[in-house]
Amino acid sequence: MVTDFQSPPTQPQAAIFSSPGRRVWQRFRHDKVGIAAAAIVALFFVIALVTGLCAWWGIYFPYDPNATDLALKLKPPSLAHWLGTDNLGRDVFSRMLNGSYISLTVGFIAVAVSLFIGVTIGAISGYLGGWADNVIMRVVDAILCFPTFFLILTAVALLGPNIINIIVVIGLVSWTGTARLVRAEFLTLRESEYVRAARTLGQRSLLIIFRHILPNAAAPIIVTAVLGIPEAILTEASLSFLGFGVQPPQATWGNIITDGKTYLLDAWWLIVFPGLAIFAAALSFYLAGDALRQASETRSEKK
Amino acid sequence: MLTFLCRRLMISGVLLFLISIVSFFIITLTPGSPYPWGELNPKITPQVKEAFRKKFHLDRPLIEQYWLNMRDLFSGSLKSIKDDRPVLQRIGERLPATVSLNVLAIFLSLSFGLLLGVYAAKNAGKLPDVLTSILAFVFIALPGFWISNLIVIGLVKFTNAPLLGTQTYGINFPDGLTLWLDRFWHIALPAMVLSIGGVAAQSRFIRASMIETLREDYIRTALAKGLAQETVFYKHALRNSVRPLITGIGGLLPGLIGGSIIIETIFAYPGLGRLGYEAVLERDYPTLVALNFIVAALVLLGNLISDVLYAVVDPRVRLE
Amino acid sequence: MSFRRIIIALRQSDVSLSCATVIRLFVYGLPALLLTLMTVSFINVSLLSTKKKNEMSIGTLGEPSTLNPIQQADAAAGQVQAVIFNGLLKYDQNLEITTDLAKSFELSQTTTVFFSDPNAALTALLKIQAENSRWQEWKLNSVTIEDSRLVIKLREPGMDVSRKIISLFDTSAMVPLHVVRVDLQDKAKDTLKAFRSDPAASQIIREWIESSGAFELTIAGDPDGFLKALDAFLSTRSELKARREIVQTEQFLAEPEVVFSLRDDVRWHDGQPFTSRDVAFTFRAIMDDATASPRKPDFLYILRIETPDPHTARVVYRKPYSPALNSWMIGMLPAHILEGKTPDWWAVNFNRNPVGTGPFRFDRWKTNEYLRVTRNPDYFDAPGPWLDSIVFRVLPDQLALRLAFETGQVDFWSVDPWAVGRFERDNRFDIFSSPSSSYTYVGWNLRRPIFQDERVRRALAHAVNVPEMVKYILYGHGIQSTGIFTPMMWFFNPDVKPFVYDPEKARQLLAEAGWTPGKDGILQKDGQRFSFTLITNNGNEIRRDIATLVQDDLKKLGIEVKIELYEWAVFLKNFINKGNFDAMVLGWALGPDYDQYQIWHSSQTNPEQLNVVNYKNPKVDELLVDIREEYSRDKIISLAGHMQSTIYREQPYLFLYVPEGTSVMWKDSYRIRRPDRRGGWINTPVEMTKAGWGYYMDWFYRPEYADLLPK
Repeated sequence: MVTDFQSPPTQPQAAIFSSPGRRVWQRFRHDKVGIAAAAIVALFFVIALVTGLCAWWGIYFPYDPNATDLALKLKPPSLAHWLGTDNLGRDVFSRMLNGSYISLTVGFIAVAVSLFIGVTIGAISGYLGGWADNVIMRVVDAILCFPTFFLILTAVALLGPNIINIIVVIGLVSWTGTARLVRAEFLTLRESEYVRAARTLGQRSLLIIFRHILPNAAAPIIVTAVLGIPEAILTEASLSFLGFGVQPPQATWGNIITDGKTYLLDAWWLIVFPGLAIFAAALSFYLAGDALRQASETRSEKK
Repeated sequence: MLTFLCRRLMISGVLLFLISIVSFFIITLTPGSPYPWGELNPKITPQVKEAFRKKFHLDRPLIEQYWLNMRDLFSGSLKSIKDDRPVLQRIGERLPATVSLNVLAIFLSLSFGLLLGVYAAKNAGKLPDVLTSILAFVFIALPGFWISNLIVIGLVKFTNAPLLGTQTYGINFPDGLTLWLDRFWHIALPAMVLSIGGVAAQSRFIRASMIETLREDYIRTALAKGLAQETVFYKHALRNSVRPLITGIGGLLPGLIGGSIIIETIFAYPGLGRLGYEAVLERDYPTLVALNFIVAALVLLGNLISDVLYAVVDPRVRLE
Repeated sequence: MSFRRIIIALRQSDVSLSCATVIRLFVYGLPALLLTLMTVSFINVSLLSTKKKNEMSIGTLGEPSTLNPIQQADAAAGQVQAVIFNGLLKYDQNLEITTDLAKSFELSQTTTVFFSDPNAALTALLKIQAENSRWQEWKLNSVTIEDSRLVIKLREPGMDVSRKIISLFDTSAMVPLHVVRVDLQDKAKDTLKAFRSDPAASQIIREWIESSGAFELTIAGDPDGFLKALDAFLSTRSELKARREIVQTEQFLAEPEVVFSLRDDVRWHDGQPFTSRDVAFTFRAIMDDATASPRKPDFLYILRIETPDPHTARVVYRKPYSPALNSWMIGMLPAHILEGKTPDWWAVNFNRNPVGTGPFRFDRWKTNEYLRVTRNPDYFDAPGPWLDSIVFRVLPDQLALRLAFETGQVDFWSVDPWAVGRFERDNRFDIFSSPSSSYTYVGWNLRRPIFQDERVRRALAHAVNVPEMVKYILYGHGIQSTGIFTPMMWFFNPDVKPFVYDPEKARQLLAEAGWTPGKDGILQKDGQRFSFTLITNNGNEIRRDIATLVQDDLKKLGIEVKIELYEWAVFLKNFINKGNFDAMVLGWALGPDYDQYQIWHSSQTNPEQLNVVNYKNPKVDELLVDIREEYSRDKIISLAGHMQSTIYREQPYLFLYVPEGTSVMWKDSYRIRRPDRRGGWINTPVEMTKAGWGYYMDWFYRPEYADLLPK
C-alpha cells in the first residue's frame, strides 16, 4: 500500500501493476496447494484448448465423440473405451474431452460478461456516489431478490437453450457480487490521497478511474473472477442436468450426466466420471483462486 | 431506529412493486403456454383451449393480466392453472416440509461449519488448517446434483434403506419413536446434501473471523491478564466471531424456495422448490407469480432483519 | 427475594470457565449429536419390519391435477380416478367395450323424413312396405307416419341404410332440411327463447344449444324466408354481435340413440343410490361452460338425455357418430353432491376429496407425496376388492420411480426397455409385457417442399434402420409400426407390410426424385441442399436417442439433419401448434379408438389443430368421415384397414415402432383371485392383459393375506 501511495500519478500503468503483481507471485509461489491447483487448472486449460482446436479441424481423440454405435451401447470401462460408452455407444472419454472446452468456455466467458457489467456498474456507483450510487445499489438489491436459479431457468427458456444464451444469462445474473465489491473498493480508493491529488491536478474522471483506481482494485477483482469461473461451470452443469443446457449431440460435462441419469443404477461410469471432471475443475479453480486471494491480501497481514 | 425502519419499509415496498412487474413479465413472456392435458391429446379441440384461456384471463392484455393477478394474489383468490385451487393454499401446504428441511439444513451447516471453523482457527497455519480449508473447497466444488445422485445410488445398491419422500410407506410402525426416526432419516438425507455448501462457507467464515478477532487488542489483554487460553479462545474470541453469523441468518430465508429445486426432485421431497420447478415446466403462471413475489418479499425482509440484528448485536452500529 | 441473590451469586462465582465449557460443549457436542441421530435413524430404517400392510403402492409420474373425471385426464389423475369412479361402460381385458355401471345397453336409430303433404308420406311408406324382404338386412324395426313425416326405426344406427331407403322415394316430394348455426357471445338460451315467439319459428323442427355462445336450429322448408326473419330478429339483439350460417343441408334426420339400463345395486361412497339422475347431471356438467371440461367435444353429438325412470337413461344423438359410445366410459359424478354448486366449489371441496362408486374410496391426498384410497366395502362387484388400500406415490421422474421400486416402496415399475434384460435375468422379480397401443414416429412437415415428394418420404422410410432401433433402443421389446393403428386394436390391418431397411433402394428413390450428391457430400436438387432440422421435446431420452439415430442413418445417404430439443411447453406452442418445423419425433398413445379425424383430416391443419404435418388426401378425408358414421363391426374393420394402408403407403410420418409395455414387480408380491362368473373363483398369478397389468386390480391380493379371502 505504501509504495502505491508514493508512486507518482503519471507513472505508466504497467509499472504500477508490476510491483504488486510480482509481490503476489512471490507469495503465491510458496503456497504448495495453490501451485498444485494452478497446475491442474493449467492442465484443464491445455486440454480444453487442444481438444477445442482439434474439434475445429475435425480431429478427434480417441474417437469421434458424436459417432453412435448401438452395438457398443452401455459398455463398462475397458481398454478400448477407457471410461466406457453411453446409451448410444458413444465413447465417454472422447465426449468428456470434447465437452471440456465447452464447459471451460462457458466458465470463462460468463465470468468475463459478469466482470464487465459488474466492474462498470460498481465503478460508476462507487466513483459517483450520492444518489446515483443509491439508485444503483437499490437496483442491485432488487436483482438479488430474484431467486437466481429460477431467473436463469426462465431466461434460458425465454431465449432458447444455446451455448451463447446460456453464457450471457449466467453472466447477466452473476455480476451483482462483483459490482458490490468494486463499489466498496472505489469508495475507499476515491478518498485516497493520490486520487485526490490527481483530481486536484484536473485529470478527467475516466483517466482517474482507469489509471489510478482500477489497477489498485485489481487484486480483489481478479480473485472474484477466478472464484466465479467454477461457479459458472457448476451452474451450466446444473442447467444441463435439468435439460436446459447446451443442445445435443454436443457434449458438455453436465449433459453427459443428464444423458446418463436414466441408466444411473446400471451404468455408474456415465455419471461418476463427468461428475469427477466437473468437481476436479471446480475444486482446482477454487483452490487456485483462494491461494491468489491470500497472496494478494496485503492489508490483513500488515496489521 | 423508527425512522430508519419506516424508510426501509417504504423503499422495500417500492422495490417489491417494481420486482413484481418485472417478474410478471419475465414469467408470462417465457415461450410456451400452459398445456394441462399431458401429451398431445386429439380430444382437445381449439374450442376447449379457448375456453381454458378465457377462464384464466390468458386472452386479456398483459397489463390487465398483471392487475388481475396482483388483485387476486392480495385477496387470496389467485388460482393455480393446474388444479384450480388457491395458490396460497398450494404454497401453504408445502411449508411444513420445506421449513423442516431447511431448518435442519441450516442447523447442520451452522454446527458443522462452527466445528470445522473453530478447529481450523485453533490450528491456524498448521496442517489441520490447510486440510480443513481444502475440505471446505471440496464441499463447495461438489456439484449438488451429482453428489445427491451418488448418495442415492450408493444407498440403493448397498443397503435397502428407503429414501424418497418424507417417510417409509407400506408398513405399520411398531411405535412412535420408530416413526419419528424414520421421518428424521427422510429429511436428514436431503438436508445433508443441502447443507454441504453451507458447512464450507460457514467454516471459512468462522475461521477468518476468529483469526481476525484473536489479533484484537482485548484478546491480547485478556491473555496478558493471565486468563486460560481455552477460556479466552472459547469465551471471548468465539463469542465475538459468531456475531456476524447470527446476522447472516436473515439472508437464508429466500433459500427456502429457490435453493433446493434439484435436491427436492432427486429425493422426491414435497417442498416449495419442486412446486416452483413444476410450475415453470407447466407454465402455471399464477403459482409462479405468487412464488416470485413471496421470495422477493422474503429477501427484502431478510435484509432488513440482518441489518436490525446487526445493530442489536453490535452496539457500535447505529441505524440512521 | 432469592432472584437477586442468585444473580449476585452467579456474578461472584467464576462463570468464565463454565461458560467456555458450555460453548465448547456446543461446538463439539452438537455435531456429534447430529451425527449420532443420523446414524441411529439410518439403523432404524434399515431394520424396519419387512411385513407389509395389506396395501398396494403404485408410483405415478407427477402430481394428478384433479380427481374430477370430467375436468382433467392426465395419466396420473387417470390412474387414481379409475379406482374411485366408474363409467357406464368400460373396456374389457381385450380392449373391447363392455358394461360397468350399466347392466346393458341397446342401440337404435330414428330416421325421420319430411314430406310436403301426408299423401307423399303415405306413398313413401307403401314403397318401403313393398321392400319387406330387405327389412331383415336393413335391421328395420318399424315405419310409421306422423302428419307428413315418415318415421323409420332401425336397430342399427348409421347413414348407409337410411340413404338406401331414401333413394326409394320421390325426392321432389321431400322437404329439404337445413341446419342453421347462430354464434353469439352470450345468452344463447334467452335469445332462443325470445325467438320462439317469432312466426318463422314454426319452421324449427329441432333445437340444440352448444354453449352459452352458440346454438343450432334445424329447419324444414324454405330457408330464405326463415333466414330473413332470423336476421331481423338478431338485429334487435345487435349487442351480442350474432352471426348465423347454414352449416348443413340434409334430406332427412338421422338420430341414433343409446338406451342404458343401469345397475340398481350401485351406491355412492356416501351411501346414496346411483341413478339416472347422475348420468343426466354428468352430461350437463360436461356441457356447462363453467367447468371448461376437456371432454366436451365427445359429447357435442348428443341432442338430449332422457331419464324415464331412475334406472334408465336414454341418450339421443344429433347424427350418427359411432365413437361416441366410448365416451360413456367417463366416470359418473354424484348429482346429489355437486348439483347447484359452482366449479370453484368443486375445486376446493370435491376435486381433491371425491365421492365415487368405485372399488376404492378416497382417503387422503398429501400434495406431491401420496394419495391413498381405501377399500369400499359396499362395492357393487362384491366381495372385492381384497386389498385394504392403495397408495399412489407421487414421484417426479422415472429415476425416482425406479429407486422407489428398488427399495420396495412401490410395488410395480413400468420398466424402461434397456432395463428389461436385467430384470428378466433376475429371479427376484416377476416381469410381464404386452404390446402397447402407442406408436412413435418421425413426422415430416408436408408444408416444406423437400418433403412434398412421396418418393422422398418412401426413401426416408427405407433409409432409417427401424429394426436396429427396436433392437438397441427397445432391446427388442417392440415391433416395427405399420401405420396409424397398432396390433392391439381389433380394427388393425395385419396385411400392411412394413418398409424394409434398404439404403440402396432409398438412394435410388432419391435419385428418381432428382436429388443428387453435391460437392459437400450433401444431396442437392436445383441448388437446394437436403438439410433439415429435426426437433423433439427434451426430457424424453428415447425420443432424443431416436433423433440421434435418424441423424446418423440419414447422414450416410448424404442428408444433413440438425437436432434441436425444446422444453415441452415451448415445443408445443412455438413449433407444433404453429406447424413451424421441418420434422419432429413424437408419439401417439391413442387407445383403441378408430376415429382419427382430428389427426388426418384435411380440415384439421390450422394452427392449434392436430394434423400438424399438413397431410391432405381427399380419399382419406372420405374414409375418416365414413368410419365415424358406421356402427357395424365388419364395416369399421374394412374402412380402418383401408385408411391404415393408404396412409402408411404415403408416409406422412416415418412410422417407427410400437413399444411393448413391460412391468415388473417383486416376485409373488401379488396374485389374482377373481370370479369366473359361474359362481367359482379363478386363482392366477398377476398377468398382463391387453388392457395392462392392472386390469384385475379389484381382485389383486397379497399372498401373505390369503387367509382373509373367502374359500
